[in-house]
Amino acid sequence: MNTYNPIYALLIFFAISFFGYLLFRPRKGWFWLIKNNLKSNEKIVIEDVLKQLYHSENSGKEVNVNSLTSALKFGDSIVVDAIKKMAINDLVQFDGDVLKLTNSGRDYALRIVRVHRLWEKYLAEKTGYDKTQWHEMAESKEHELSHEETNLLATKLGNPMYDPHGDPIPTNTGKIADVTGEFLSSLAVNAVGKIVHIEDEPDVIYKQILAENIHIGSQIRVVENNKKRVVFYAEGEEFKLAPIVAANITVAVLEKDEVIEENIVRLSSLKENEVAHILGISKESRGDNRRRLLDLGFVKGTEISIDLVSPMKNPIAYLVKGASIALRKDQASKILIKKD
Amino acid sequence: MENKVSSACETCSQFNAKGLKKLGVNTDNFDFVVALAGNPNTGKSTVFNALTGLRQHTGNWPGKTVVRAEGAFEYNSQKFKLLDLPGTYSLLSTSQDEEIARNFILFGKPDVTVIVVDTSRLERNLNLVLQILEITDKAILCLNFMDEAKRGNIKIDVRTLARDLGIPVVPTSARYSEGIPDLIHTINEVATGKIICRPHQIKNVPKNIEVAVKKLSSEIKKQFPSIPNSRWIAFRLLEGDTHIIDALKTGELV
Amino acid sequence: MNKNAIDNIIALSSELRWKIGDDFHDGLAEGIYADASEIANASISTDNEKKRFRLDSKIDKIVTSKTWGFPIMFLILGMILWLTILGANYPSSMLASLLLDNIHPALKSFATTIGAPWWLDGFLIDGVYLAVAWVIAVMLPPMAIFFPMFTLLEDFGYLPRVAFNLDYMFKKSGAHGKQALTMSMGFGCNAAGVVATRIIDSPRERLIAIITNNFSLCNGRWPTQILIATIFIGAVVPASFSAFASLFAVIGIAVLGIFFMFFTSWALTKTVLKGEVSTFNLELPPYRPPRFWKTIYTSIIDRTLIVLWRAILFAAPAGAVIWLISNIYIGNESVATWTINSLDGFGFLLGMNGVILLAYIVAIPANEIVIPTILMLTVMATGIVGGVGTGVMFELDSVNATGDILRAGGWTLLTAVNLMLFSLLHNPCSTTIYTIYKETKSAKWTTVASVLPLIMGFVITFLVAQIWRLVF
Repeated sequence: MNTYNPIYALLIFFAISFFGYLLFRPRKGWFWLIKNNLKSNEKIVIEDVLKQLYHSENSGKEVNVNSLTSALKFGDSIVVDAIKKMAINDLVQFDGDVLKLTNSGRDYALRIVRVHRLWEKYLAEKTGYDKTQWHEMAESKEHELSHEETNLLATKLGNPMYDPHGDPIPTNTGKIADVTGEFLSSLAVNAVGKIVHIEDEPDVIYKQILAENIHIGSQIRVVENNKKRVVFYAEGEEFKLAPIVAANITVAVLEKDEVIEENIVRLSSLKENEVAHILGISKESRGDNRRRLLDLGFVKGTEISIDLVSPMKNPIAYLVKGASIALRKDQASKILIKKD
Repeated sequence: MENKVSSACETCSQFNAKGLKKLGVNTDNFDFVVALAGNPNTGKSTVFNALTGLRQHTGNWPGKTVVRAEGAFEYNSQKFKLLDLPGTYSLLSTSQDEEIARNFILFGKPDVTVIVVDTSRLERNLNLVLQILEITDKAILCLNFMDEAKRGNIKIDVRTLARDLGIPVVPTSARYSEGIPDLIHTINEVATGKIICRPHQIKNVPKNIEVAVKKLSSEIKKQFPSIPNSRWIAFRLLEGDTHIIDALKTGELV
Repeated sequence: MNKNAIDNIIALSSELRWKIGDDFHDGLAEGIYADASEIANASISTDNEKKRFRLDSKIDKIVTSKTWGFPIMFLILGMILWLTILGANYPSSMLASLLLDNIHPALKSFATTIGAPWWLDGFLIDGVYLAVAWVIAVMLPPMAIFFPMFTLLEDFGYLPRVAFNLDYMFKKSGAHGKQALTMSMGFGCNAAGVVATRIIDSPRERLIAIITNNFSLCNGRWPTQILIATIFIGAVVPASFSAFASLFAVIGIAVLGIFFMFFTSWALTKTVLKGEVSTFNLELPPYRPPRFWKTIYTSIIDRTLIVLWRAILFAAPAGAVIWLISNIYIGNESVATWTINSLDGFGFLLGMNGVILLAYIVAIPANEIVIPTILMLTVMATGIVGGVGTGVMFELDSVNATGDILRAGGWTLLTAVNLMLFSLLHNPCSTTIYTIYKETKSAKWTTVASVLPLIMGFVITFLVAQIWRLVF
């Protein structure tokens, strides 16, 4: 005990804690970096190249080796090696300078896309991960699941048609539902439509859309659209977006003769002593949360009113089918009603 | 079908009070299995205690019973084993409680399923009732908390309800042991086949789902003619219930 | 069965389901409710007055109001805790004098008369019997008061309103409002608190409530806190303030526990638990007059006696271990002395000593025996006069005499403060660990729940000790 000094003890303690932090801090910790590095192999590079080609071809862009290497995070030589190997295995072919998917390459790419979107659906329905994390987690999972595992996953999820962002999920035979719609930024004033897709890349813009609390599946009406901003109404609230942000939202335009429910508002806007009827639950409410709401009787046509407000104004207890059920504000904002 | 309108009639000729013995946890050598199902906080545990003479803790608080509890009683020298299933709002979802309840009613094939409901919240409770009626045709509806319903000026036309659901309906106030003899008597009648139920089938299923369910359930019936609840199996298959898929493969459902 | 046919059925189902699309569940749920509403409308008739009973909604308006909601709640919960701690004193000391001062000597003399060998009566009577007697004396009275009162509130239907009022605060740290109740239950007994988390039906929030329940100071730890605070903290202020100062210190520790509960809940949501499913719904049931005697009976049978029984099962071997380590010798030293000496260095770093650490190791089964074990080990390690024999736990009636023994064992104010902190922040007792395992059925979460508070205890006491030594 002769050498003991509280200052040394503290210093050693902080040194150990700091080292532990460097090793295990989320994502950038050395431990995780090393672990990830061990996994990154040729298969991942090939699959990422296929996916990149698939998406580019779908949006009508031409791809060459240069644009591909700059789009992917791997070293140039690794990508070039992978492309050579893929050409030998008949996954890609060169059309002059332009790189194209062969039929088998397209099938393979479709399989990767299927796993990616299914996994996002899985994360949305069966886990509690935040939606900002889905994409990144699916990016690594798409390289891991086998064909059988993927099909089992699809069965468990009820063979879903769309992923949580509104992208269609290819079936195991390669069937794919189509998404028709226009970008929100290109809609005319007074156009009415339904949000069918919210793009999750790039991350910065996706987070902005999430911060605005815009929900997929909601019905909108554009009131202003110019170079500076797009203004629209949805579910009784007004939203203002920069055109570049609005371009990442796809809207299916509703024709005039289609039945359009007017005066849709969110349950969170209901006031005490008001009575309303439920129109439905927003697509943003997913998984167990959605099921539990349905089980409790938050279904179309049900009469609803406020029973009690807690001292902090959140949660609020609603009277539904004779029972008093407390919901938090974020849940109430995902239930759509029409006030009587 | 017989309708039970009167409550606690220990004296009436139908009920054989001397034939009743509450057996507590002694569940050996039973003749019939009775399952208790229902929403959380509908007094299921109170009904369970009233039937078995046990004193399981009951709370005014959804979700007290998570693991299933067992007990027994004897009536007219027939032994009934009673299972208190966890309270659930539905059988369509994935929570552990629901799985326990759903699997027991489907695979455990109880001789009678008593569905306990809170009378003042009947509509909400019917959600679960209608689902159970898709699985089993030997069920009894126990309208619990009749005392509270009366206090809230809620009147129930028991006869109409029994006709619409196609199963016997017994009003009770289990906390005060009212209606329990009637319930025991009815359990006996259903278990021994003296009452035949013709349970309600869900009618308002959206058309596209109904078409798919019909197609699938007729396919199931073709392969497994002995499955009584092919419609429910079809619902579950469409839902992606892997447990059901496995059960079909192992032949557990037949 | 024909395997092909089954595969065909499954393939058909997959195809049909894909065609129906993602609204299958919604459509089905709406369909069932449409039927339910038709059937209900046909058979229910209500008088057109308000559907909810007037009295109920009047009570609700008051107990959830902005002005009265919180005061009423703190008053009721504070009353229950106060009645428990105060009310348990008398039966506890009666039980202690009966089991420890009367029955224990009687058993000893009986053993002498029938000529039992010293090791047998030491092992059985001084070891096993004493530990069990201690657990009963300290644990039974508070639980027999706390649980019935809590259960009455539960049966009445007030507790869901508490969860409703407090949910906002718990939501901030990623937890469920109902955790307020499992936490309160933890003030009685952590094992019972863990069982009570069944009322939380969201997997993530339930795990949070289970893992953080240990931060509620349970009734096995209150006496330790009160005793140490009275001896050491009461002594540093003028005599007229000493009662106040020690009370303040104990409440401070309990509040610190609540702070750690919130902090840990938050940290867990952000890290290991972020992938667990999280849902929220809270049904406010109607008020129901509790059936008084039935409630008292079931709460004593169901909660008190079951928990007590588990505690006894774990305490009995612990008593045996305590006696054995003090009486088995390796060379010149007993196992206990040897362990104390080897733990002393680590204990010093944490501002405590080897005796305390050893006491906490052998007292994993029950926090109730920490103080008697510490006293016995201190007397043994320092060789001062006192106590009733090697390996025999004891407690003194006089607080001053207890303080003298501890001071002779080298205790300072720092030791006392860190013992109080460590008593709050260490692994749950084995009854609770076992209960956590039974409730979660997961070795992983049981380990997290056991090790996490221990690490926090080490870190906090270590930091306090170093800073204390720098400052003073």
